[in-house]
Amino acid sequence: MKTMKWLLRREFWEHKGAMLWAPAVAAVAMLVLMFLSLAFALSKGLFDGHLIVNGKEKVMHFSVADLLSQGGGVAEMVANGYMAASAPLFIMLAAVVFFYCLGALHDERRDRSILFWKSLPVSDNETVLSKVITAAIVAPLITIAIAVFMSVLMVLLAALLCAFHGVNMIGPLLSQPAFYLTPLQIIGLLPVYVLWALPTIGWLLLVSSWAKSKVFLWAVGAPILAIVMLKWVDYLLGVGLDLQWFTQNVIARGLFGLVPGVWLPMEQVNPHAMVGAQRTVAMSAVFTQSWMTLAAPSVWVGAVIGGAMIYGAARLRRWKDEG
Amino acid sequence: MSAVISARGLSKHYGKSVAVDNVSFDIPAGKIVGLIGPNGSGKTTTLKAALGLIPFEGELTVLGMDPRTQRDALMQDVCFIADVAILPRWLRVADAIDFVAGVHPRFDRVKAERYLAATKLQPSMKVKAMSKGMVVQLHLALVMAIDAKLLVLDEPTLGLDILYRKQFYQNLLEDYFDEQKTIVITTHQVEEVEHILTDLMFIREGKIVLSASMDEVGERYTEVMVGADHLAAANALKPIDQRTVFGKSVMLFDGVPRIQLATLGEIRNPSVADLFVATMKGSYA
Repeated sequence: MKTMKWLLRREFWEHKGAMLWAPAVAAVAMLVLMFLSLAFALSKGLFDGHLIVNGKEKVMHFSVADLLSQGGGVAEMVANGYMAASAPLFIMLAAVVFFYCLGALHDERRDRSILFWKSLPVSDNETVLSKVITAAIVAPLITIAIAVFMSVLMVLLAALLCAFHGVNMIGPLLSQPAFYLTPLQIIGLLPVYVLWALPTIGWLLLVSSWAKSKVFLWAVGAPILAIVMLKWVDYLLGVGLDLQWFTQNVIARGLFGLVPGVWLPMEQVNPHAMVGAQRTVAMSAVFTQSWMTLAAPSVWVGAVIGGAMIYGAARLRRWKDEG
Repeated sequence: MSAVISARGLSKHYGKSVAVDNVSFDIPAGKIVGLIGPNGSGKTTTLKAALGLIPFEGELTVLGMDPRTQRDALMQDVCFIADVAILPRWLRVADAIDFVAGVHPRFDRVKAERYLAATKLQPSMKVKAMSKGMVVQLHLALVMAIDAKLLVLDEPTLGLDILYRKQFYQNLLEDYFDEQKTIVITTHQVEEVEHILTDLMFIREGKIVLSASMDEVGERYTEVMVGADHLAAANALKPIDQRTVFGKSVMLFDGVPRIQLATLGEIRNPSVADLFVATMKGSYA
């Protein structure tokens, strides 16, 4: 346990820039951008609609107050959807972890520091496991923390700006249970994320521990080449291979598993199942539907295959002769 | 368990070429063994096999364990510096110490910090900001602070200047080494290690051509500064090597009694370097 703690810390030291500073800086940039544009818009009254009907301009004032007068609608909508503001951070997470996995077992071989790590009493299984945990749990948790912090700040800032313009959003917003539940539900989705990410993490780590160089080319090129070759075989022999199935269930799971929420299109979850009473996305429905994807066997098959590839990566690290 | 490393019929092939060829040897505890051979002679391969880094054929036990199957347990008691190993560029001095202290039960933090205090390294320094010599200094400080039963050093002082090299070997002898420990060391700078070695192993083309204690080497090999008038007599005793210094022939004899040689001229113990050159003649031919 103590060794694992230090191994995780080691990974964090090495990748602090990509895992902590990059999302933190992006979050601050998004906050500043949002604040400035919202403040600018409100001061210019840009939220009033200008409508030109038959050449006559009509100014429509639909202020936030009007919207709020429709009941808790807007507050509910915001409370359910405010985390969507952090979507760029989660896309970033997928990219960061993708390249983290590609480098995880390759960089140490390239710079020969693997021989230093291997001179310490740390097994290859422990080392590889620490990298899996970093990719699947540590990095997502950091991003979630930053995303929640940023989203809450953004909503409160927006509400504050509205308050200066005579509309009190803060009260109705804070009284929405969804406002507090949304971050918890996102953390609650982590186990789903891990299971869906395992095939990709496994594939990337395997390539990372095997390829001598050009890990990205191997990791992405080999699957694409496989599709092309299967297409040829299919065309030449006319055996009627289900290439769409292969692409969706093997290639896509192996390459896109790190994208948060990828399970929704993968399992073809009906978008209508996640729409709440206000015709907006209901976070609790997303949560339930996400967990329900685990009922299908495919995700488990993928996770087992991912686990096998991770084991393979550890074996390669144990025996590959680094000269 | 008398032997720290014990090899019986150890072989390693890379494709068709043989790196280590059916080698057998024992290294007892409490020795400092110099494993010396030309480039590509199989010394690094032998060490890698002993450290469980590569598969091999034959029998090899290290501290009574099989390095292939018991590597994780073995590394509790073994430490090594591989010739090509370097520390990762992002590592800070303080983090390196914390990490090794965290994962190694036999690491003595105070010792490591004491070694580092004798260098210009600062705790906040990253490896990428260090000179090559400083990286080695950090690596050595970390490894020397580990109380391992077996320490394997493959070209440990590569890139260090002579001041630090001397200091390192002095530390190794005075501060690190004791009769419970065993050190296996390979280096091209033979002159610098010969006075600290207790045993010598020459390896050539995957075979061990000489394995003896330094005392035995001293008894077996004699260097004689032969005067011109004794040349014929000296040649009759079949010197294994011969060179000329200031017009005098310096000959190296294997197993000829010293009393007999003393009549030919001035005798002395050959240096390991001279012995090495004589033994390895024609290695690159």
